[in-house]
Amino acid sequence: MKLDTLSKKTVVRALNSDGLRFKIGGFNVCLSSSVPAVAEHLLCLYGAFDVLDNTAFIDFYTALEPPSKLRRFFRPQVNFSFDGYFPFKPLPYKQASAMFEWGLNWCIASHSHQYLIIHASVVERNGQAFIFPGTPGSGKSTLCAALVSRGWRLLSDEMTLLSVNDGCVYPVPRPISLKNRSIDVIQDFAPDAVIGEVFKNTAKGSIGHVRPSDDSVALGEIPAQPAKLIFPKYERDSNTVLTPLSKSRALLKAAENCFNYNILGLKGFTSLSNLIDASDCYEFKYSHLEEAVALFTDLAH
Amino acid sequence: MFENNLIGLPIVPVIHCRFWDEECVIYNQLTGDAHLIDGMGAEVFKILSEKAATRIQLLQTINSNFEWEMDFDAEGFLDNLILEYQKLGLVDVTENTSA
Repeated sequence: MKLDTLSKKTVVRALNSDGLRFKIGGFNVCLSSSVPAVAEHLLCLYGAFDVLDNTAFIDFYTALEPPSKLRRFFRPQVNFSFDGYFPFKPLPYKQASAMFEWGLNWCIASHSHQYLIIHASVVERNGQAFIFPGTPGSGKSTLCAALVSRGWRLLSDEMTLLSVNDGCVYPVPRPISLKNRSIDVIQDFAPDAVIGEVFKNTAKGSIGHVRPSDDSVALGEIPAQPAKLIFPKYERDSNTVLTPLSKSRALLKAAENCFNYNILGLKGFTSLSNLIDASDCYEFKYSHLEEAVALFTDLAH
Repeated sequence: MFENNLIGLPIVPVIHCRFWDEECVIYNQLTGDAHLIDGMGAEVFKILSEKAATRIQLLQTINSNFEWEMDFDAEGFLDNLILEYQKLGLVDVTENTSA
C-alpha cells in the first residue's frame, strides 16, 4: 500500500500512536510525531513509498517531539530521536520535517557500514550510475534534481551507498534537498516538480525538498552499476566543461567525501578502488542546467 | 646508500597498491593513510608490488623506462624516495643476504 492512498487523518493517527512505518529503498523506517506538519510533509513527498505493517522489521525507530511541554508555547522547539537517543540539539518547531530528513541522513550514515557511504548524489540512466560527490554548494543536488526531472532514476540525493560486497550502488531514493537559490532554479527548470514546504532560516539557509519520481521509488531496491564519477562545481556564468580526472586523484577526492571510509579501513579503500576501476572520472564545471542535462544524457548512451 | 640492501614492501601485508596509468595510490592499512604517487615512485611500487628488489635492480628498470636530463641524479633521487617511503612505513629495507 502506498502512503498517498492513506487519508491525512490516518497518517496523523499512525504518527501519534505506534508510528508510521514505511520503506525507503532497503531501509524500513518508523516515525512517530505529534507535530501536524510532519504528516503534510510525508503525504507531499513520500506519497509513492510503501507503508509497512506492524510485523515488518524496522531499521530505524525515529521520533519528532517537542522537548518539553513548556516549549510548546515559548519559542517552540522539536527534537529528533533515534531509538530513544537524541543525536542533535533541538531545532525550531517549524523545522520539524526538515529535521526528520537530516536525522534520517544521520541514521543511515551512522549505521550502514555494509556500504561505503559517499557524500554524493547518484542517478541512473541506461543501467549506468552517475555519481556526483560534492561538498555543500557544489551544485550536486541541483544537478541531481534537474536530471531526475528529465527522467533519470534517482538513487540518492545525499548519500551514495556503495556495497562493500558486490560494488553496486544501492538506492535510497528520498526527497532531494535544495538550498536557497536552487529552489527557484529547479522550480523554473522543472515546473512540474513537486517541492514541499520551504523551511526558512535553517542553519543551511532556506531548504526545500523535491518529491522523488514514482519510478525511482518503485525501483528502490534495485541496485545499479557505477559508471561515472563526476565532481561537479557550480560556477556562476561558467561554460559547461567536463574534464577527465586521473583515477588516482579521483580516488583521493572521493575518499575525502566519504562518511565512513576510515571506519571501513581496508574494505573502504578496496571498495573505493573498485569503484574507480569501474568508472570514468571527471571534474565538471557548469552554470547552465539544460547544457548539463544534455551532456550527461549523451554520455549515458 | 642502500647498496647492500633489499628493498620491499613490509612482510606483514599492510601496504596495498592500486595502479592507474602513470600513477598509483598506496594504502597503509596501519595508519589508514592513502598516498598518491606518480612518476619514478609509481614505477618503484610497480616493481616492489611484484617482489623485493635491490637498489641496482630498481635503477636498471627505472633507467630503461625514463629519460633523464643529462645532469639529473637518478640514483640520489631514488635513494631519497626510498628513505621517504621507509619513514612512512611503505617499504622495508633489509640486509641483502643473497649478495
